[in-house]
Amino acid sequence: MDNLDLLVVGGGPAGLCGAIEAARSGLNVLVVDEGVVPGGQLVKQTHKFFGSEEFYASVRGMKIATKLLDDLGSYENARIVTESSVLAIYEEGIPVLDRRSDSVTLYRPSSILFATGASEKFLQFDNNDLPGVYGAGAVQTLMNQYGILPGNTVLMIGSGNIGLIVSYQLLQAGVEVKAIIEASGRIGGYEVHAEKVKRSGVPILLKHTITKALGRDSVIGAVISALDEKWKPVPGTEREIVVDTICIAVGLSPSVELIAQAGGEIKYVAELGGYVPVRDYNQKSTVGNIYVAGDASGIEEATTAMIEGRIAGLNIVKDITGSCDIDRLNSLHQNLDKFRSGPTSSKTRTGLKKIGSTITEIEYTEGEVNRPESFRGKLRPLIECYEAIPCNPCETSCPTGAIKVGKNINNVPVIDYSLCTGCGICATKCPGLAIFMCQERDDGTALLGIPYEFLPLPSRGDSVFAFGRNGEVVCSADVERVVKSPNKTNLIYIRVPEELVGRIRHLGTVVSRSRDLVCRCEEVTVEQVRKAIRDGYKDFEELRRYLRISMGPCGGRTCRLNTLMILSREIGIPVEELSPGMMRPPAIPVTFGSIERSGAENSDEE
Amino acid sequence: MERILDHPVLTFERDKKVVFFFEDLEMEAYEGETIAAALHANGIRDLRRTPREERPQGLFCAIGKCSSCLMEVDGKPNVRTCITPVRSGMRVRRQKGRGEIGG
Repeated sequence: MDNLDLLVVGGGPAGLCGAIEAARSGLNVLVVDEGVVPGGQLVKQTHKFFGSEEFYASVRGMKIATKLLDDLGSYENARIVTESSVLAIYEEGIPVLDRRSDSVTLYRPSSILFATGASEKFLQFDNNDLPGVYGAGAVQTLMNQYGILPGNTVLMIGSGNIGLIVSYQLLQAGVEVKAIIEASGRIGGYEVHAEKVKRSGVPILLKHTITKALGRDSVIGAVISALDEKWKPVPGTEREIVVDTICIAVGLSPSVELIAQAGGEIKYVAELGGYVPVRDYNQKSTVGNIYVAGDASGIEEATTAMIEGRIAGLNIVKDITGSCDIDRLNSLHQNLDKFRSGPTSSKTRTGLKKIGSTITEIEYTEGEVNRPESFRGKLRPLIECYEAIPCNPCETSCPTGAIKVGKNINNVPVIDYSLCTGCGICATKCPGLAIFMCQERDDGTALLGIPYEFLPLPSRGDSVFAFGRNGEVVCSADVERVVKSPNKTNLIYIRVPEELVGRIRHLGTVVSRSRDLVCRCEEVTVEQVRKAIRDGYKDFEELRRYLRISMGPCGGRTCRLNTLMILSREIGIPVEELSPGMMRPPAIPVTFGSIERSGAENSDEE
Repeated sequence: MERILDHPVLTFERDKKVVFFFEDLEMEAYEGETIAAALHANGIRDLRRTPREERPQGLFCAIGKCSSCLMEVDGKPNVRTCITPVRSGMRVRRQKGRGEIGG
């Protein structure tokens, strides 16, 4: 095939965006993708993207894949082949294997865009090839693309954004994440991602590593160990964790094999994930007609990959046709630079500098900048976004313009509470789930709106557990309102004591286990006790008479305290302030006969 | 290693069931699933034996990069089962070592 203008290797976010730009200008484009479905790793990203709305922020990754594929599909001069692999780069042409027919076609394109993505880094520990030790991407593929659970209990290695996001997605799928371990002394990913898993009850153990996977044919556990300041395991700190899955999320390295074969210069840049192709500001490699974009040109994330792809595509159009939309190209460059100008991109900037691209950090705001306490009583958002990350859907989604991120997308949002109507849209749009709604009431309680992406979805009137920032149970609470959102980030409004507003950040539904007994003698369940309390029996004596709790043969020895503790949790009064109720005779079961035959020791009778 | 039925964000479209064979055992899959995914849904993680030490290995990257999921499919060795769709009647075996031509 000789009239091909552009061959795109890899149909992920970078490759698709490059192909779209080229196709829009009429070039003949072929995208070759190895996968069963195109879209690269977007197809398994269930979280809402950070960034700006122009580049699909707040849209879930898999929906972005659909949008890009639809867009490319609208051009007759572009096509995608899946289950196909580029075998090599030869001067005579580029052999592409169609794995379905097991046949090879030779292409001679005018230019090539390598958007080959990356591969998982493989961590060294004993038994690290045991089935059940997966890369984080594999877990996502199984779980989010095919709907198959990778296991039931997981140990996550690595607290970068991927480790944190995949942990959260495992929880959403109903898998238990025992812990996230991190070798360094600080969490690698965004604070807001870490907060999401912490409030779901997953501990993040810093300065820890895995030393061994346990099991013969499949993982049955892991040995972890604390690390000293020289990154060596501390003897005596080893402990076993029982898990059936170990997930490695220690980073990615760019797939540069084909670029190197094509003669493109590659260079080792640790900050960008390993060997990266040397390329200029316009994504052009050291070989004239070859461009690179996305993770293949340095590990970053999907938003920058899409922008890089578009920049490469426009430049290819310019090379072939002599011109391209320069304004658009400049605007893409500006956006990309802005995106990378914040503190969370410092590593990327250091890496890019090593291959000749200089991006300067621009001034940004961070920390607590809002003062919700001065609007006590008004329904309003509590914005817990304190880290300067490139993201602004709260600003763009606010219908009244109350929230401002400003010119630098890395700024933390500032809210003008006098303009806020309390609609809660920002809370459903925030990709970090870092916005909570709050309204204090005169009776000492407050309404707290929590973004919720789990099943089962509670209903109005349900009693739920309110969890704190580390997943601890703070109290139980009633659901007052459920706002279902089309993007599946629903808002659950619960009523809680006002003094707990700052502590409660998550909730869990009360799982009704009908055989969960409180009282063995009379067979009364936890759920029955809770229901009675909610029906108005808020005193132990009332519960006793209504449910027969403590009226059985044990006389309340087994059930009294349990019942009082449930009552305490439900009504928010400490056990020590509750009445324990009457303790009636007889203290143990006795026969009537024993009473009949009774006589007093010092009796005057007989 | 079971299939997710209810998910807070995703819906899984599982249309047509197909039957395939793993080590002569009949197994069910849904059309569109990869061989490796279908095996996981059936509780199979152990996909091959390494050439030197005959160690069990399974899926690692699931996107066709690491070649840890190579299996023998319809007599053909070294098939990357993580990016090959399962098809009706397929015969899949654990690959032992490097595989043999003509299996």
